[in-house]
Amino acid sequence: MFEYTFQWRQAFRALPQMLDGALVTMQIAVLSMVIGVTIAVLLAVARNAHSPWLRWPATAWVEVARNTPALFQIYMAHFGLGSFGIYLSPYVALLAGITFNNAGYLCETFRGALRAIPATQVRAGRSLGMGQVMAFRLIVVPQMFRIAFLPTTNQMVWAILMTSLGVTVGMSTDLTGVTQDLNARTFRTFELFALAGALYYCIAKAVMFAARLAAWRLFRY
Amino acid sequence: MNFKTVAGGLIAATLVAGTAQADKLDDIIASGTLRCAVVLDFPPMGSRDENNEPIGFDVDYCRDLAKVLGVEAEIVETPFPDRIPALVSGRADVGVASTSDTLERAKTVGFTIPYFAFTNVVLTKEGTGADSYESLKGRTVGSVAGTYEAIALEKDIKAWGEGGSFRPYQSQADVFLALSQGQIEATVVTSTVASSIVESGRYEGLTIGGDAPYLPDYVSLIALRSEYGLLNYLDLFINQQVRTGRYQELYEKWVGGAAPDLTVNKVYR
Repeated sequence: MFEYTFQWRQAFRALPQMLDGALVTMQIAVLSMVIGVTIAVLLAVARNAHSPWLRWPATAWVEVARNTPALFQIYMAHFGLGSFGIYLSPYVALLAGITFNNAGYLCETFRGALRAIPATQVRAGRSLGMGQVMAFRLIVVPQMFRIAFLPTTNQMVWAILMTSLGVTVGMSTDLTGVTQDLNARTFRTFELFALAGALYYCIAKAVMFAARLAAWRLFRY
Repeated sequence: MNFKTVAGGLIAATLVAGTAQADKLDDIIASGTLRCAVVLDFPPMGSRDENNEPIGFDVDYCRDLAKVLGVEAEIVETPFPDRIPALVSGRADVGVASTSDTLERAKTVGFTIPYFAFTNVVLTKEGTGADSYESLKGRTVGSVAGTYEAIALEKDIKAWGEGGSFRPYQSQADVFLALSQGQIEATVVTSTVASSIVESGRYEGLTIGGDAPYLPDYVSLIALRSEYGLLNYLDLFINQQVRTGRYQELYEKWVGGAAPDLTVNKVYR
């Protein structure tokens, strides 16, 4: 049986600290998405390129990023690179790991979106006198983002939840890190983690809601 | 109300009360198994031998306890942060897991009298120049999240400022890995762990850089806070371990030398 008396007051007293942690969590998630989207677009273009020198590295990135656990990727960024004398702080290692993962998944999302845009549109643009880059920028990219937008918000939520893996590399300032630290001090495991879980839920929900709003504003036909 | 109803009520009450009073200690004896939460990446208190079998001071301590209870010992491997969940969710009966008896934690879990005491030392890598506790000022250090020494070290590093930072890792193995790679410049660990890891030679260049000026870290067995029957029994068990010389014997076996004093002068527990 579950033999435990819940003491919520002690947990709620820790709420300000946990909210600070939630800010750090959001910061890492947003940064990892901004950098991840940029890399993912480049990867998606590279994977569709003719040159094998572009295609292969991009394919390798996507294969590793999508087919290994995020935990492994973050651990490698910290301890893996560390064994080669490259020291990333927990914050940077966590950010690098999640960005690597994001870029891999988003690349496939974008590649699918690219495929969904008929090639005839670009040809039509070219016949109107647009250059290759201009046609890509004005015709393909806006539609790609429109198609890929909702799957991208999915990845954003996933990025938020992945930040919790930072504790394995010594991250102490994000929501899970703060919660783990409070837990060690007070042993109020259940209250603290329930509260952290609720915060993660609220953050993820808020992001989804904001994304819906943004999509409604940006992508109206 | 006639006599029969009163008597019947009394008998019923006694029966109900009788069964409800079977506490954790009864449960352990009845089940024939004592499940101990032990941390197994914390040599010499708990680790695994070549055959992956749990060994260490805490493991032996648990087996001693099981023996006097007349039951089988079962070692439940539990990382430091999971000791309370293990107890509360009923995966373990007793935590034999080097748990520091802080007042903050005692609000949540029941502590026995101390069964062991640690002193802490600075563990660093050759060439970092950290040769005393004070020389850790302004450096990047790390330790196992939530341990006594981690809490003390983090507090001092924050108070010193000067660009020093503290990194809590999830296991002792990760701390040693980070230290040997140079991710952190030093850690503070219990002297027993430090000497056993330096001796093992598993990580090159690790060296002890002086004592950490903390109070002795008294550690206790833990059980659910409400289980007075069990906690009382455990107190007596610890007392007997010392009285019979078994404590010294186990200390000699796993650590070596004279076992640390478990009493605090001028006050009762």
